[in-house]
Amino acid sequence: MIEIIPAIDLIDGKCVRLTKGDYNSKKVYNDDPVAQAKEFERQGFRRLHVVDLDGAKSKHIVNDAVLRKITDATGLKVDFGGGIKTDEDIRKAFAAGASMVTIGSIAVTHPELFIEWLNRYGTDRLILGADVRNGKVSINGWKEDSSEELLPFLRKYVEAGVKNVLCTDISKDGTLQGPAIELYKQIMEEYPHLNLIASGGVSSNEDLSGLEKDGIPSAIVGKAWYEGRISAEKCRDLMGFKANRGLAKRIIPCLDVKNGETVKGTNFVNLRSAGDPVELGKLYSDSGADELVFLDITASFEGRKTFTDMVERVAREINIPFTVGGGINELSDVKRLLDAGADKVSVNSAAIRRPELINEIAGEYGSQVCVCAIDARNDADGWHCYVKGGRERVELGLFDWAREAADRGAGEILFTSMDHDGVKNGFANEALARLAEEVPIPIIASGGAGKKEHFRDAFVKGKADAALAASVFHFGEIKIPELKEYLCNEGINVRI
Amino acid sequence: MSVAIVKYNAGNIRSVVNALHRLGVEPVLTDDASVLRNADKILFPGQGEASSAMAYLREHRLDEVIKGLTQPVLGICIGQQLLCRHSEEGDTGCLGIFDVDVYRFHPTRHEDKVPAMGWQEVRPTEASLALSNEDGASREDDLNRQACASGNKSLFRGNVLNAEGGCQADYFYFVHSYYVPLCKWTIAEADYILPYSAVLHKDNFWSTQFHPEKSGKAGEQLLKNFLAL
Repeated sequence: MIEIIPAIDLIDGKCVRLTKGDYNSKKVYNDDPVAQAKEFERQGFRRLHVVDLDGAKSKHIVNDAVLRKITDATGLKVDFGGGIKTDEDIRKAFAAGASMVTIGSIAVTHPELFIEWLNRYGTDRLILGADVRNGKVSINGWKEDSSEELLPFLRKYVEAGVKNVLCTDISKDGTLQGPAIELYKQIMEEYPHLNLIASGGVSSNEDLSGLEKDGIPSAIVGKAWYEGRISAEKCRDLMGFKANRGLAKRIIPCLDVKNGETVKGTNFVNLRSAGDPVELGKLYSDSGADELVFLDITASFEGRKTFTDMVERVAREINIPFTVGGGINELSDVKRLLDAGADKVSVNSAAIRRPELINEIAGEYGSQVCVCAIDARNDADGWHCYVKGGRERVELGLFDWAREAADRGAGEILFTSMDHDGVKNGFANEALARLAEEVPIPIIASGGAGKKEHFRDAFVKGKADAALAASVFHFGEIKIPELKEYLCNEGINVRI
Repeated sequence: MSVAIVKYNAGNIRSVVNALHRLGVEPVLTDDASVLRNADKILFPGQGEASSAMAYLREHRLDEVIKGLTQPVLGICIGQQLLCRHSEEGDTGCLGIFDVDVYRFHPTRHEDKVPAMGWQEVRPTEASLALSNEDGASREDDLNRQACASGNKSLFRGNVLNAEGGCQADYFYFVHSYYVPLCKWTIAEADYILPYSAVLHKDNFWSTQFHPEKSGKAGEQLLKNFLAL
């Protein structure tokens, strides 16, 4: 892990870069340093290195008003340097919101004053700026070389309590020729606990990886960022951001509802009753289910009314998201169920009959409410979709249809493998993995849950985002808290 | 205590009403300026599209009403985004309580799906933790002090916010394609594609990107905490 600190160098209130510290080489990258700072923050950086080049030239702080604007507008932890020569300069920088100040020349020309500041402001708020050219410490905006050799110079200050050192190799700065890695390694070998900030020469993602691999704690990026040679994603990665963690894998009990009662079919026949759907749903929610699915398997008009009433009760009593499906044929069905309080609706046969239904739902209510449920079987000629509760094959391939549904605006695919459903021998992991690969929306695995390992496999091998099951939960064969505990121990991100 | 919910053209407000009912609170759903101004607490929830939501708010002069509120206000989901300065969604100027712009998620990997939908941990921001993390105190102490440091009183009281990751923390339910980046007002963050703001706070305005009303017990606790502010 390495802390990557983007830099804003200021001349006339603008964001510039110099090459090897030469003011004649100035290139303006952004007229608005505040906008630039906000952009860095948006990309996930936590810190910012601000250099007052006008200040370095004038030998006193100049751009403190710009610093103030940056610290007012962002939550970035800013270190500020350039032209800090007096106590008044330091106080101005802190008053303008700097978290730390970088002090270079004074440490060379007036060591006793630097030590006094170190004691007054604390070692966490001061960064010793050691700019190096040909092994010697350079001062006054790099225009003069001192007689100080770097390592003895550092020793003096480390012994006095300095913890943060910003070391710039002037011969590298702004050249995009790679950082002075040997120099930094040498410093780290000597002072392994130092927070060394490497600066100058970083030209690519690889340079940053190299610094990280060699254990350099922090690095400044300047020109390479502005020239687009470094990716924000790589920086986040090197800073330890775990993009993988993201969303928890979801466990979803499914309740089939007929005339207000839950039922569960084995291979879609032999219905067995398992109680009041709202009570059961509440029980699942309290025991850690992440979502619920209620499927209306009633065909009649009266049954539909009963189901809508049940949806209203679920919405009143349950505090996790739930999806409803079954018999959704047109937008008015969707409206009725969403108005009753459902978070999402799932469409199945009707969407295969009339795929525009998906566009209509997504257009009217957003993709996030539209779950496309697909029942499919791995026939001799490949995976095919089935409609009417699995009774009728349609000439439509599973993967083609899933992709099309996603293109039309579905928010999720709920894929039930009819071959696996009710068999309790694991999910259709190969087909799931292929769906995950080919379809750009979340996949809910359904059909085949028999034991805890099956859920792990659906997430790991099948790359599913969620796993749905019914009878193993309804008949208490798997308890959700135990399942979650197991998955957590298996290293899967689940909500407990 | 009177609790008002801002009535506008956003969806899914009913679930907030239901959540308040479960806490024994009867909210008023209203677009009446004086009712809003006189309520003890305001909720500004919803799901929807930014430009049409802002157009509605302006047309009904609710934009000025919301900006002028002085009691605790909680924005939820699109409510949070509308409290920001600008949204990339429909290139929309928003209310500007939080001076930060809202952006659309751009997936960098195949696994990153948009909308981001599901449960996530949130953690207090590193800056506010650093403010209070001086002597290696326990995490709960850290969190309590973090809450104080951010002037946040007790929005997270009783919630377990995890700074490290692990399954034991509270998870909250998110559904969104747009995000508020990290900013000065971030008091808790979440990770999806990049780190972003999960909870914002400034003066009397709080907001969450997630849906506390759909976040199980953790969300219920947070709503309870807000009502007790």
